[in-house]
Amino acid sequence: MNPYLAGFLLGLVLLSAFFLTGRGLGASGAAKNVVITAVANAAPEYAEQSTFFGEFFTGSHPMMSWLVFLLMGVIIGAFYSGAMANRLGFKIERGPKISAGTRLGFALAGGLLFGLGAQFGRGCTSGAALSGMAVMSTGGILTMMAIFGTGYIIAYFFRKLWI
Amino acid sequence: MAPLIPQGIINPELNFFFALILGIGFGYVLEQAGFSSSRKLAGVFYGYDFVVLRVFFTAGITAMTGLMFFGYLGWIDLSLVYVNPTFLYSAIAGGVIMGFGFILGGYCPGTSFVGAVVGKVDAMVFIIGSLIGIFIFGHFYDAFEPIYTGSFLGNIFIYDSLGLPKDWFALIMITVALLAFAITQKIEDRINNVGKEAIGQRPSYRVPAFLLVTAAIVFVFLPAERKTRLNEVMPEALVAQVASGSHLVSTHRVIHHIKNQNDKLVLIDARTEQEYSHFTLPGAIHIPIDNVLIRGWRPLFDNDHRPKVFFGNGNTAAMQAYLTAQRAGFENIFVMDGGLNKMFGELFIDYDDEKIESYNLQERSTARFLRDARIFFLEGGAVKDESDRPMITAPEESEVIPVIGGC
Repeated sequence: MNPYLAGFLLGLVLLSAFFLTGRGLGASGAAKNVVITAVANAAPEYAEQSTFFGEFFTGSHPMMSWLVFLLMGVIIGAFYSGAMANRLGFKIERGPKISAGTRLGFALAGGLLFGLGAQFGRGCTSGAALSGMAVMSTGGILTMMAIFGTGYIIAYFFRKLWI
Repeated sequence: MAPLIPQGIINPELNFFFALILGIGFGYVLEQAGFSSSRKLAGVFYGYDFVVLRVFFTAGITAMTGLMFFGYLGWIDLSLVYVNPTFLYSAIAGGVIMGFGFILGGYCPGTSFVGAVVGKVDAMVFIIGSLIGIFIFGHFYDAFEPIYTGSFLGNIFIYDSLGLPKDWFALIMITVALLAFAITQKIEDRINNVGKEAIGQRPSYRVPAFLLVTAAIVFVFLPAERKTRLNEVMPEALVAQVASGSHLVSTHRVIHHIKNQNDKLVLIDARTEQEYSHFTLPGAIHIPIDNVLIRGWRPLFDNDHRPKVFFGNGNTAAMQAYLTAQRAGFENIFVMDGGLNKMFGELFIDYDDEKIESYNLQERSTARFLRDARIFFLEGGAVKDESDRPMITAPEESEVIPVIGGC
């Protein structure tokens, strides 16, 4: 799909989200709810004493949240798109100079950092940067600039991973 | 009007249903844009593929201008839209950590789910990593809390932080994005050694880019008032209206209304709660100035076509409430000239019949009218009757469902 058309459509989805529900899109929030639920079920005593995981025991069930349903939609929509375009299939994408194992190791590290950073940033690329930009939130735009700014500053040092 | 769910226009129970539908659109577009591929995503940092920049900024600008436009037309109440709060150092620290995550992992959370669904093993591992990252944050939450909840600046807007008008900021943002699209295309072509022929075959974006910039410039020169409603009245028009006195209703008309107990006026007491509960005109409802704009009264102002008359002790309280309502675009509203003080002054002047005879015709009929009214009031026709008021009880404000945001 033409990237500008895709961007325009994504913008319309985001605008609809604001129009219908008064909030933008997000992805890492659902992951947070999954972690909280998993920890609370696996180790209830530990969770109860924690400020962060203790959230499970107050209010509604974390899995019954807007962001979790949004993520389920993402999974359905992406699968449909991938299936229609014949893009389904197991694959490890990596730069030409690294092995599959190295790629997976860095993917794990990158995911870990992103998960951690998304908590401080109160949202990831979609929830803080994109939705924040749409409502012109100072915090959201600062987070966006920090993500991409850092990316460009350190890209050179990690170039072997990708090119 | 919008946002529909927080305004209670759509049943909140449908919230999850809409989340699912919006998610499907979100996932579909991300996959279609090629965001299931980490190499494509990482390309934005190495110059061989700027698709992330194109999709991201186009989406951001579409939604941003759309929200501005809807807000300007009064289609959406922007005060009900969730604005990401700004915790200065936490926002920056989070962004920097995520920047590292992006370069190392090649995904962000949203795209990693998209990638994992179509079978990218690296995306699945990235997700596992991000779950661990969230767990680490949760485990050490108490240590992180000072940064996480510190330096809170409120739900502030970037244009306020920069000291720019909102529409100018939008114009700058659009211009920067269009320049970035043009420049990054050149960089990408050079790095990938794209020939001139292939470049010539691309669609031209001059027309949409031109239209977008024109629209943004028009926005800058539109009256800068932030509208909350479609038919908001401009201050100049309001001043003219007040100067002409067309908003005033005489106390005589109100007395006539009360005496004949017809239902052609809605009397609105704009005084304080205490004053209202002590005494009010028969049939009057109580809407002090702070409550004029609450959503619960909208049906009264929007759908009830009877003239609505604000009154206070003098003119001040009624005038304030009137100005607020008029500015919000409510129609068919008036102020009882002189307020209760004038009304009582007129009602309780003693007229003896002999004196009345010496008046001219008009004065005489006025005096008779007031005398009859006085008798009516004193005989208890207008005595405070609990069953008589308030006809419409003050609505609860709780129907606005707070928006909890964040990702």
